[in-house]
Amino acid sequence: MATGTDPMIAAQHIDFDAIVIGSGITGGWAAKELTEKGLRVLVLDRGKNIRHGTDYLGEHAPDWKAPFQDKPDRELFAREYPLQSKNYAFSEFNRQFWNNDRDNPYISNPEKPFEWFRADAVGGRSLLWGRQSYRWSEQDFKSNSDDGNGIPWPIGYTDLAPWYSHVEKFAGISGQAEGWPELPDSEFLPPMNSFALERTIKQRLAKKAPDLRMTIGRSAVLTRDHNGRSACHYCGPCHRGCSTGSYFSSQSATLPAARATGNLTLKSDAVVERLIYDEQSGKITAVQVIDANSGERHSYSARLFFLCASTVATTQLLLNSGSDKFPNGLANHSGALGQHLMDHLESTPVVGIFLDDMDRYYFGNRPNGSYIPRFRNLPGQDADSEFLRGYGFQANVLRANWKMAYNQKGFGADLKDALRKPGFWIWALTGFGECLPRPSNRIALDHSKLDRFGIPQVSIEFDWSDNEQAMWKDMNQQSARIMKAAGAVFYQGMGDTNTAIGGGAIHEMGTARMGNDPAQSVLNAHNQAHDVANLFVTDGSCMTSSSCVNPSLTYMALTARACDYASKQLAAGAI
Amino acid sequence: MNRRELLQCAAILVSGVSVSRLGFSLSDEQWTYLANAPDYIARTPAYLSPSQREIIAVIADIIIPETDTPGAIAAGVPRYIELMAADWLNDQERGIFDAGVAYMETAIPEEYGLPFVQLNPPQQLQILEAMEAQASDSSWYELGNVQRDFVSDAPFICQMKELTIWGFFTSEVGVTQVLQYDPMPMHFDGDTPLGPDDSSSPEFLI
Repeated sequence: MATGTDPMIAAQHIDFDAIVIGSGITGGWAAKELTEKGLRVLVLDRGKNIRHGTDYLGEHAPDWKAPFQDKPDRELFAREYPLQSKNYAFSEFNRQFWNNDRDNPYISNPEKPFEWFRADAVGGRSLLWGRQSYRWSEQDFKSNSDDGNGIPWPIGYTDLAPWYSHVEKFAGISGQAEGWPELPDSEFLPPMNSFALERTIKQRLAKKAPDLRMTIGRSAVLTRDHNGRSACHYCGPCHRGCSTGSYFSSQSATLPAARATGNLTLKSDAVVERLIYDEQSGKITAVQVIDANSGERHSYSARLFFLCASTVATTQLLLNSGSDKFPNGLANHSGALGQHLMDHLESTPVVGIFLDDMDRYYFGNRPNGSYIPRFRNLPGQDADSEFLRGYGFQANVLRANWKMAYNQKGFGADLKDALRKPGFWIWALTGFGECLPRPSNRIALDHSKLDRFGIPQVSIEFDWSDNEQAMWKDMNQQSARIMKAAGAVFYQGMGDTNTAIGGGAIHEMGTARMGNDPAQSVLNAHNQAHDVANLFVTDGSCMTSSSCVNPSLTYMALTARACDYASKQLAAGAI
Repeated sequence: MNRRELLQCAAILVSGVSVSRLGFSLSDEQWTYLANAPDYIARTPAYLSPSQREIIAVIADIIIPETDTPGAIAAGVPRYIELMAADWLNDQERGIFDAGVAYMETAIPEEYGLPFVQLNPPQQLQILEAMEAQASDSSWYELGNVQRDFVSDAPFICQMKELTIWGFFTSEVGVTQVLQYDPMPMHFDGDTPLGPDDSSSPEFLI
């Protein structure tokens, strides 16, 4: 098999201590932690080079500047972005961050579809994420061993707690400390203010549904100046990019910190084709990279390799880096690589109409909702429920405006007046449920279909288990109960039939899972490949189960912890 | 330097920067700072004849008239409608639009003896109301049918209403002079008083 000395590969021997593949949430953290420990780090990203601030082309642009005044460019989106444009955050204001679907195809089985939402820019999906940040609970790490699905986690809450603190103090998470065991508190910046309606609903729920808890969303958006980044100015659409760095992204926070050490080299437009494994040393020696613009191939060598390319892309890369020793994909003696793909079961929104607090309004656009943490199947309760694990509800307040009623009848001053004034309040619940790890949900390579770089495309199969189907029905019943208790005068339920498509929650994870048993897992308790000592994987693919809370904060903590371990091992000569 | 000045500087620095397009399908126009770009309606439309333009303007003005605040004409809505008809509507929608314009231009004078734009305002309103009554079975009017791109088979009168209302409430005039607009709120307060005549904020919260 190829090694770093392949004469077909342009010789460009730049030695780094570590190479990090991907510059999203986890790649940014790996870059920061490793450079701050004195390692010389190369970060590679397949996307274009977005510069923080100056390339946020749609930031603060009003609708009247946008093509078609922000009616979507249907022809362009259908041709180039048929999948990405389905996402709520996609628009002409940030199109440069997103993956072009036509240029970058993958294979989804129509019977078992999976949606792969993808960024194509330095900073990755950290530019586009929803910023909700929750710690896992002790129970979350025990769920697999308790009910026998998947394999046990090799770590528990206490292993990760100091690393949660570590990343939270740097990133800045706003929220309210509550002391709830099912949703451990973070190191918080002050919480954001509430809507009057949220206070009204919270009081009603306390009386009529006292088993529920509700708290302001815990968000990686700053409520005061923090580590050289500015407090939120509440303009609204974070996902266009934020030049004041008020939400956490690799661009705003971790990459600048890495750059400040002088130890960072960052290459954009760098598509990693494969990792080069050396049988003699039993280690990765180099990565083979294709320049996305010129098509030229380069290889870069290093002592340590961190895969942070996102679940699907990391899995694709490992599968494509097979060798005589690893015929089924690099570091895949277990055969687990590519299996156990999970996403969260995201409900359709349950929309309630409220006529409370009609004489109250708001100032500013709060980029955050509130959260009803898991309340089903907590330890010692709901033994009779028809599903395992649990779900939480994210709740968002809206006040109807002209955009919700422009198809009404009428003409003239009365119509204009009706359209300019606020309508009723809306409170919308979206459920996010834990998905079980199952081998049949999987990522493979299709060697008969190559992408524009000649790399085999990934083929993804995903469907929901009976457990998630039963969970959906329970979400439906419970969301109706919550809407009634909250005082909705009308609500549109989510229906009894699961309509979620895998990948839709953009919380995909699990295809290179951690575990103590090398025969059943790809990574050990420190995100280190069982089979290859200098290979670490810290993006979502490392996850052994999925919890029901948003995963990014946990990925950050796992990454920082793995970097600490790896750098110590490197210093000790063990890698 | 305050934040707004900073943004203006950033806008000037970035405008006109060219970036390699190899391998990607970004338009050159996209690599300009949108906040610094010309308004969408700054371009010159060339889809309608002068007399057709007058008809479109009168209809838009009837839908969103000037009151104590500016209306569709001041907001440049007729120009928006013409640009959208030329560049955004698909073939089916454009066919409906063209037929609607032709109806207003030829059938109305035959029936009323005068061009539409010369009829008195009550007659003009009556014609539009009759068109709306005739269109009332269209799914365009369905409750909640607003979270979509467009209703492709919607009759001409519905097209005119949608493009007029959208064009108005996303225009600089509509947003800054009719709605409550603050591009840089600097804080969030979820419990402010709302008077009976107050306008709403232009953005949905996310």
